[in-house]
Amino acid sequence: MTAAAELIGVTQRFGSFTAVDEIDLAVPSGKLTTLLGPSGCGKTTTLRMIAGYSAPTSGTIRIAGIDSTRTPPEKRNLGMVFQSYALFPHMTVADNVGYGLKLRKVPSAERRLRVMETLELVGLAHLADRKPKKLSGGQQQRVALARAIAIRPKLLLLDEPLSNLDARLRVQMRAELRRIQAETKLTVILVTHDQDEALEMSDAMVIMNEGRIVQQGSPQQVFPRPADRFVAEFLGYENFLTAADGTPLTIRPEHLHIVEKGHGLDATVVDVAFRGVDLLVSLDVVDPSGATVRLLADVRSGATLTPGSGVTVIAPDDHLVSLPR
Amino acid sequence: MKRPITAALAVIGYVIMIVPIIFVVATAFTAGSTLRFPPEGISLRWFDEALGYEPFIEAAISSLGLAVLATALALLVGVPVTLAIHRGKLPGKGLVEGLFLSPLIVPELVVGLALYQQLMIGMDLDNFSTLLVGHTALMLPYAVRVTGASLALADPALEEAARGLGASPLRAFFTVTLPVLRPGIFSAGLLSMVTSVNNVPLSLLLQGRDFRTLPVTMLDYVQQSYDPMVAAASTLILAATVVIAVIAERTVGFAKIFGGINQ
Amino acid sequence: MVRLLEPVPQPVPSKRTPPRKDADISRKSAFLLVPGLVLLVAGFLIPSAAMLFAPPDVPASEIFARLGEMLTDPYDLEVIGRTVGLALAVTIICVVLGFPIAYWLARSPSRWSGVFLAVAIFPLMLSNVVRTFGWLVILGSKGALGQLLVQLGIVEVAPQLLYTKLAIILGLTQLFLPLAIISCYSAVAQVDPGLDDASRGLGGSRIRTMWSIVIPLTMPGIVVAATLVFAGSVTAYTTPYLLGGSSQRMLSTQLFNYASTTVDWASASATALIMTVLVFLISGLSSLIGRKGATS
Repeated sequence: MTAAAELIGVTQRFGSFTAVDEIDLAVPSGKLTTLLGPSGCGKTTTLRMIAGYSAPTSGTIRIAGIDSTRTPPEKRNLGMVFQSYALFPHMTVADNVGYGLKLRKVPSAERRLRVMETLELVGLAHLADRKPKKLSGGQQQRVALARAIAIRPKLLLLDEPLSNLDARLRVQMRAELRRIQAETKLTVILVTHDQDEALEMSDAMVIMNEGRIVQQGSPQQVFPRPADRFVAEFLGYENFLTAADGTPLTIRPEHLHIVEKGHGLDATVVDVAFRGVDLLVSLDVVDPSGATVRLLADVRSGATLTPGSGVTVIAPDDHLVSLPR
Repeated sequence: MKRPITAALAVIGYVIMIVPIIFVVATAFTAGSTLRFPPEGISLRWFDEALGYEPFIEAAISSLGLAVLATALALLVGVPVTLAIHRGKLPGKGLVEGLFLSPLIVPELVVGLALYQQLMIGMDLDNFSTLLVGHTALMLPYAVRVTGASLALADPALEEAARGLGASPLRAFFTVTLPVLRPGIFSAGLLSMVTSVNNVPLSLLLQGRDFRTLPVTMLDYVQQSYDPMVAAASTLILAATVVIAVIAERTVGFAKIFGGINQ
Repeated sequence: MVRLLEPVPQPVPSKRTPPRKDADISRKSAFLLVPGLVLLVAGFLIPSAAMLFAPPDVPASEIFARLGEMLTDPYDLEVIGRTVGLALAVTIICVVLGFPIAYWLARSPSRWSGVFLAVAIFPLMLSNVVRTFGWLVILGSKGALGQLLVQLGIVEVAPQLLYTKLAIILGLTQLFLPLAIISCYSAVAQVDPGLDDASRGLGGSRIRTMWSIVIPLTMPGIVVAATLVFAGSVTAYTTPYLLGGSSQRMLSTQLFNYASTTVDWASASATALIMTVLVFLISGLSSLIGRKGATS
């Protein structure tokens, strides 16, 4: 299978600052790939290089097998959705969506047909004649998406497309984006800092930190096996302890069990927070190396735990992840 | 360069804006006695001449005095107007503000002619008083608009908070409102001073035998004799303007001062 | 303004109605306005109106008679035509040069753009006499440009550059380009650079993006720039006086001539009227365009 986009040794420097450091990446065709990482990790810079808005300092970018490293953005035929949506305020929704087609000299009858088709795909056909300012944030987001899809791009690039929406809409749009991706069979690259979004939406996820790729794979591969402490923390592993031989270990709060007495780690309850369905318990635990560490356990409510009481914490082997030293 | 057309236009624009100023400075240092280029040798003689030329010195003092007085007067009557517009309950605020900005629309030469006819000839006012009235009226829009901009940004609740804490209205004004207005007053003052000192069209017809402004005096001199003394005087003015620009940049940022009046 | 803590006003059974707070504030505001209003009315509005319609010892009818003559007299028409023509030329040049400069200053991230912006704004603080004087040095009979042309062998004798339309156009462009740059700059700075990127990404070249996206969105700023430059050029005095002389009279130099040399009040007032009407026309036209742009 050929990659829809390929980055080979790509580096981007701004002055003395290295934003992207020698990354190699193959984006699988027809799949949704996320670039995930905290702000400043180089994910947006990477996306902008793929789109052609900035040329890499060194390295090669291939799109559909063709070297496009220095191709200007207007010659790449990629669809991009910006974080700010960047809708043209002086044009109607239909004119925004039809802009790319007009530039491609698509005759006006066919253009209108394709604009309406695309607007129907995102469920906005009834707002075709509105100006973008009159639309809600969620609607603007769909227009931006329709505008990018209408040109039938080789790649669809999404730069934090959901971050300006409120929480409920964000969750709805995740499913919506998945549906549209499945219907159009487009290759999608999504940039996000939200690990839930990445886990829920990706076929492949690429985690970046300080300009480098630190781990990649399907969510099913990455989530249970974080490659290092950074990835573990980023994916919500909150507990870090050390094995008897000195290997760093991590485990998620929901995988810790608390028993009154048993075979496990000695611990003292520090704080108990009631969260409705469950309890979040902070504990001072003596780990296998003998050090005392503060751990969080997410347990079903019902247990009676009081701060100061001594308990035993069980960390099941199949959920313990060992990290590189 | 990725944009050859933009680059070419930008170069032409900057050449037209800046090159004449460079030529003024270059001729000021000539040792020769004509506005010939390239200059014949280097000397400071024309600076000596300019600084010793009585009419220029007198006019410079007159211009500065006029600018200071007109600016002070414009602020003194203009700041209360700003307060009335932005903080008072005034019917037709827009109209009142428009009225105070109107001196910006009428051509200055026309205002100058009006004041010459009506005040100097019609009412027998001396030329200094007429100039003062004219310059103050011309500076009013700056005082109202520029201080208004800084007042519009401030939260009116500030004064109410001060009053709530026990300050009298006067005290609230001096401890809260005035400090909020300070950058606006500074900008307006600077803008008025510079505009007043440099003004030609308004002052042109209002010159008298014993009170003349500097730019008009220089203009007359240029018309009579073709020597580099005006270049030297211009260079001194340029130097003073640079100093003021640097002060403006350090205090409020002069892009802010000069960007403000057009919007 | 809502004051939550104020007690609910109770109707007072009294013959003298207590003064309302609003009226009180309104009176205070009026008091603040008075000194400014007096100055504005006595020092600007009345004299301007009186000058246009009742100069000393001249009946208003004479002004209108003179105005009628001017609008038919070939010499006066030439002056009016020259003024409008030169102002139009300068306006076009300032927009064509100023807009790209403003775009470049607003969009280039380098710190040099700050320096160049300052260099563009600085001349606004500098005396027009100083700025215009530079052109005398460049365009004068022994000036730099003429000498250069002779030395390069392009011409044998230095051509007459001073007191020409070209000289006035150069001088006025120098004077008003900073204004054009500032107006366009604040307009461009308000356009999200993401829109340029979006247009490029959808297949628009740089030039196409400029025409379809940036220029339509910055049109209000461009209109303001054009208005300021045109009105400024119609009323400028120093530049046409020094660079145009008596062979290239414009309305402003003509007005001064009537008022000061020939002391012809009727002609001076008529010229002032034409100048004022021109400025009001262009301001009205520009706010009309601005309003149309806002509704469409």
